[in-house]
Amino acid sequence: MANQLWCSNGIEVSFNPHYALTTLKKVEGSLQAFPYRSAGELVRFENVGLRYGVGAETLTDVSFSIEPQSFQFLTGASGTGKTTLLRLIMQALKPTRGTVVLFGQDTSLLEKDGLTALRRRMGIVFQDFRLLDHLTTYENVALPLKVQGRDEVTYRAEVTELLNWVGLGELIHAKPPILSGGEKQRASIARALVAQPELLLADEPTGNVDPSLARRLLRLFVEMNRSGTAILIATHDLGLMDQIEGARRLILADRRLYVEASDG
Amino acid sequence: MAENRFSRSGILSAFSRFVPFFGRDPLVAADQVTDRALVAVIAILTFLAALTACAAQLTAATAMRWQVMMASEVTVQLKPQAGRSIDADIVRASDILRGTGGITSVKVLRREESAKLLEPWLGSASSIESLPIPRLITVQIDTHQPPDLNLVGRALADAVPGASLDDHRTWTKRLGHLSNLFLTASFGALLLVVLTTGLTIVFATRGAMAGNREIIEVLHFIGADDHYIAGQFQSHFAVLGVRGGLLGGGAALLLVLTLKLSILIPDGLQFSGLSEMSILDWQTVCATFGVIALVGIVAGLASRITVYRTIGMLA
Repeated sequence: MANQLWCSNGIEVSFNPHYALTTLKKVEGSLQAFPYRSAGELVRFENVGLRYGVGAETLTDVSFSIEPQSFQFLTGASGTGKTTLLRLIMQALKPTRGTVVLFGQDTSLLEKDGLTALRRRMGIVFQDFRLLDHLTTYENVALPLKVQGRDEVTYRAEVTELLNWVGLGELIHAKPPILSGGEKQRASIARALVAQPELLLADEPTGNVDPSLARRLLRLFVEMNRSGTAILIATHDLGLMDQIEGARRLILADRRLYVEASDG
Repeated sequence: MAENRFSRSGILSAFSRFVPFFGRDPLVAADQVTDRALVAVIAILTFLAALTACAAQLTAATAMRWQVMMASEVTVQLKPQAGRSIDADIVRASDILRGTGGITSVKVLRREESAKLLEPWLGSASSIESLPIPRLITVQIDTHQPPDLNLVGRALADAVPGASLDDHRTWTKRLGHLSNLFLTASFGALLLVVLTTGLTIVFATRGAMAGNREIIEVLHFIGADDHYIAGQFQSHFAVLGVRGGLLGGGAALLLVLTLKLSILIPDGLQFSGLSEMSILDWQTVCATFGVIALVGIVAGLASRITVYRTIGMLA
């Protein structure tokens, strides 16, 4: 059933077209972001500004866009507004001014139902995991499908395969309190990926793990990007960004966003 | 092992589609201490509400039974008249009554029996034998085809001076008023208890939502809509409501059963007015389960309304 593929960078992957999941088997050399670009933008910010209360703006005149199947890092020193920018994209915050367009829709005109529909097209990896402690790893990962009203029979195999893919196959019945930081992070990534989102937002996904695990997690994102998901990773780890060739860098400094052109 | 778990969950999942209360994996984390306290409060409130409902139902049923009994019997009173033989008047009155359609039986109370009725006020029967006490005739009426009591009364008064017919209308009316008053008070008490239950659930839901704020936020971000989140909280609190309701209602039912047994058994089921009462009639059971269902519905609704109001603020 699975198609064996050889990529130019020496990574052997098997691709299961049914679940649209790729399995990483061997790694040699550096990772490369998916080079495909298409016309429709997933995210577009136009002169966005955000102010908390009556103080100065936290973000000023932020303009950028995210293309489908693209790979980019959002970076900047601590406190420059990386998480704030992610929260603006995930609509946890409303901009003070400017326009935020998600999947072609102006978010200022969105009703609640429309917002829910947009969020279902995004996957989010939180810095602090945000797993529900009273649910098992399986239930946590399956949550995005469950809230969509899908019958468990239709996604059980899919979730189990995804858990195996992220290396949590033996821990599907374990609850978050007994998982290690890395395991929680992988469960959180699996939850973000399970609904096969068009856009994945990850806030410091490697902030709580050792460099070796960080590299493995990064591979997960690359493979997801290869299967068609646009990735935005917020990080201040330059070493991590150097591991991905062709990834665009969005740099936050002095309350403004600077877009560094990708070399892919 | 995983297969067994999934098979079981599959059945529960299918079941939960029809009965959401029993859905597996509730997304609202159970807070053991708060949940138990809430169940205890709801159980106590339901116990009081169910007792009130049972008492109201029992009062209404007994009042109705007494009213029917009173309506099926009238009393004719003959006051002794100077220069007239009361025994002859009794015979004449009895004849008129027996000749009237809609009357099933006529029973003349003997003088001793009439005297015995006055004993609480006038002392022993022997001391009042010399007094000119009124005589009584009890008349049973066919309730399906009752006679015109006004006509019967006038016919008696015309034929026998000093005869009067008492159809117990005043007593029936007073009993009806008393019964209605008690029912209204019971209904008011029931409403207050249900209102208190609702408010308790509102505060508990707010507390739970504040405690589960992070869960709500995560659910929003992974694509859950307000209906789904509200449904989760509603199910959680409706289950607590029904659980508390069943405990309180069950306890009330047991108490009513015990009280009825303690009244009926020592008196050999002869207690006046309650003798026709069954140990546990369907009305009592219906009243109790009605209260339990009401508490469950109020718990679910109060929770749902609170969730919708609070969800916007949390979002």
